[in-house]
Amino acid sequence: MKRVLEGVRVVDFSWVGAGSYATKILADLGADVIKIESSQKVDGLRLSPPFAGGESGVNRSGYFADRNTSKRSMLLNLKSPGALDIALRLMERADIVCNNFSPGVMERLGLGYEAVAERNPRIVYLSMSMHGGYGPDHQARGYGATMSAVTGFHHLSGLPGLMPTGTGTNYPDHIPNPGHAAFALLAALRHARATGVGQSIDMAQTEAMLATLGPEILDWTVNGHDRPPAGNTTEGYLWQDVLPSRGEDEWIAISTPAETHWSALMDVLGLDGERHPARDADAVAAAVATFDNTLLTERLQARGVPAAPVLSPVEVIEDPQLNHREHWRRLPHAEMGDTLYNGQPFSFRHSVAQPIASAPLLGEHTDEICAEILELTPEEIAHLRRTDVLT
Amino acid sequence: MTGSSPVGHRALEGVRVLDLGGEISNYCGRMFAQLGAEVILVEPVAGSSYRMSLPQAARSGDSLRFAYDNADKRSIGVDLATEEGREVLRRLASTADLLLDDRTEHSLAQHGLDYELLLQEFPDLIATAITPFGLDGPYADFVATDATCLAFGGMLWLGGYDDGPPVQAAGRQAFRAGSLFGAVASMSALVAPERHRGELIDVSVQECVSLGLENAVQFYDLEGRVRRRHGGQQKQAGFGAFPCADGYVFLIAGGIGGNRFWQHFVDWMKSEGVEGAESLEESRWWDRPYVEGDEAKSRFWDLFTGYAMTRSKKQLLESAMRWNVPLSPVMTVAEVHGSAQLRERGFFVQTEVGGAVADTAGPPYQLSETPWHSARPAPQLGEQTAEIMRELGFTPAETADWKVRGAIA
Repeated sequence: MKRVLEGVRVVDFSWVGAGSYATKILADLGADVIKIESSQKVDGLRLSPPFAGGESGVNRSGYFADRNTSKRSMLLNLKSPGALDIALRLMERADIVCNNFSPGVMERLGLGYEAVAERNPRIVYLSMSMHGGYGPDHQARGYGATMSAVTGFHHLSGLPGLMPTGTGTNYPDHIPNPGHAAFALLAALRHARATGVGQSIDMAQTEAMLATLGPEILDWTVNGHDRPPAGNTTEGYLWQDVLPSRGEDEWIAISTPAETHWSALMDVLGLDGERHPARDADAVAAAVATFDNTLLTERLQARGVPAAPVLSPVEVIEDPQLNHREHWRRLPHAEMGDTLYNGQPFSFRHSVAQPIASAPLLGEHTDEICAEILELTPEEIAHLRRTDVLT
Repeated sequence: MTGSSPVGHRALEGVRVLDLGGEISNYCGRMFAQLGAEVILVEPVAGSSYRMSLPQAARSGDSLRFAYDNADKRSIGVDLATEEGREVLRRLASTADLLLDDRTEHSLAQHGLDYELLLQEFPDLIATAITPFGLDGPYADFVATDATCLAFGGMLWLGGYDDGPPVQAAGRQAFRAGSLFGAVASMSALVAPERHRGELIDVSVQECVSLGLENAVQFYDLEGRVRRRHGGQQKQAGFGAFPCADGYVFLIAGGIGGNRFWQHFVDWMKSEGVEGAESLEESRWWDRPYVEGDEAKSRFWDLFTGYAMTRSKKQLLESAMRWNVPLSPVMTVAEVHGSAQLRERGFFVQTEVGGAVADTAGPPYQLSETPWHSARPAPQLGEQTAEIMRELGFTPAETADWKVRGAIA
């Protein structure tokens, strides 16, 4: 079967979180994503746990691996004088360039948008720094967790009156930022193909995260309501909570948007139908605590009540639905062996849209990229390696 | 390239999208509309159920959630239980590139319009179904809310308190995730070579959520360790939220990118004469078991909060920028709205909601040639029905008659 982004080439300078996750989507959809790396300064995720067998090494991080499926890795030491020409020649033969460095880094390397567009006017060039390319805070350092903080998202996620918790992860890196970035790249690619005109895209990761919080922002600008953390309730629902169920650290999420759901919940729990969420929270919690969360979920689902066990990482891996959908994929890797990867969260009827290869070893494809795309001879490649360009 | 260009200054000009969904898919439709696609919200004749979603504008009662997700779309109401309503949908589908659905508003299959049949009838169409669990599998017919999707996808387990309950992410992020991945998948099919046209894309919100597990699945697979929520605590020494004089800041002094900011942080603390700052130079702060342990967290907490409690969020951010340490204030939405950074970039744009004009979130990305653009507020139910019916070739008499009979609104 075909892959929808076959024939699209991406030169990928992104590293760590959101950038690598954005280009992973394109790679899994069939684009030729060339990850530019250097052994002089490796992607921090290659140094981040977990590691295969608990043993660290630049080709052993599961964190890195999951974000870099289906890509090729090329060593290019951007600090060496000869690297600039190699990088520009590669970008001449590409459709998309992506980076998530701090503003100004690509320009200082001679690889800013203007320099690339001069060689390849069709190029779609994405820069996705934390705050975007300008503004008083544009040089502030950040990762997903600090973006959550500065966008209000961290404050909004937690129990009222307690210190907010956020998601416990670098959430903006995983979904809002790669999702918006990949969408903008593909939209601009369509425009470039139709007109021959490329463009630069400045995506502030904070702004992409904020775009998901539009209704919460309107609540402030329209109603003057500076929202507190919502806890586990959903406004407008009669009731919703996350409660302990039978067992150690076992939980269940239950929503009763309307009276009918609440009545069904009372029925399943064996409680008096006259009970009310505002008055009888303790009775509900006590009843829920006697149930196994999977069993209670099944009973509530049978009555049309939205409910779900709070799945731990182990349970998510074993979940029958995710397995039916073949979401988890074991891919072979030269150093790590067969390890577990997320698939893409969608299927296409007529195309393959999933990881086809595990993450590349550091610099694994340097020679083949130099030969195939740059048409360099083995002697030229050897020379570039000796002169510290392909390192 | 020669000749006239099929697209002008909008990246998605000429793309026509039908958004048949509600709370799950409407943000996806918004993304298409604001890069230039023509997006028609196809509502039930009684109006989208999402119009009832909170929060509402206090004065008018308009749903702010609906208003945000449906800006820049046109609306037509269609009752698929009627022959005329189905005829309108078919005519719409014959003109569309992409059909979005989330099964919250219409029952296409029940009315003989399931995705397979639509694709047979309209072989060039891309149909994207964004549903809680995907179109097949043991949970395919489970009912869901955003919170239950977070639970089934594993994100809920990671959020919340170390010594308390898991807590959901704010802002209905499970449904946002469905829209985002639905948008990327749909867009990839739109740029695919012609031979790929005619595609059914089946997006599972549960799977989208599981993309937000960071490295938790790999931690178990590779090291046999089960990650757990740690809210209110540091994830490891130097990584977490800390109180300061006027709220909280989120600091990442250690634990990212091979600990590359640790020395910057130590230099900062030493320059401020923070008591015990020199002890941060001990080699054990680079030892993973140590920094993940209680002693290191407790020592770090005492050291940093002793300093931070005497400084405001603003002062801490300024110092962190000077010392090149990742730190951000934990802001409320009102503080975000006042952000000088966002204002200088023109992030907030004005919109009309419930008869008043207010600031709303603007571009998630700045495209130099084909800028993001928002031109109109969310439509009233059927606000553009007459013009859409005319464009589809129906007569004014048919439109009037079908309205009276309740086939359209």
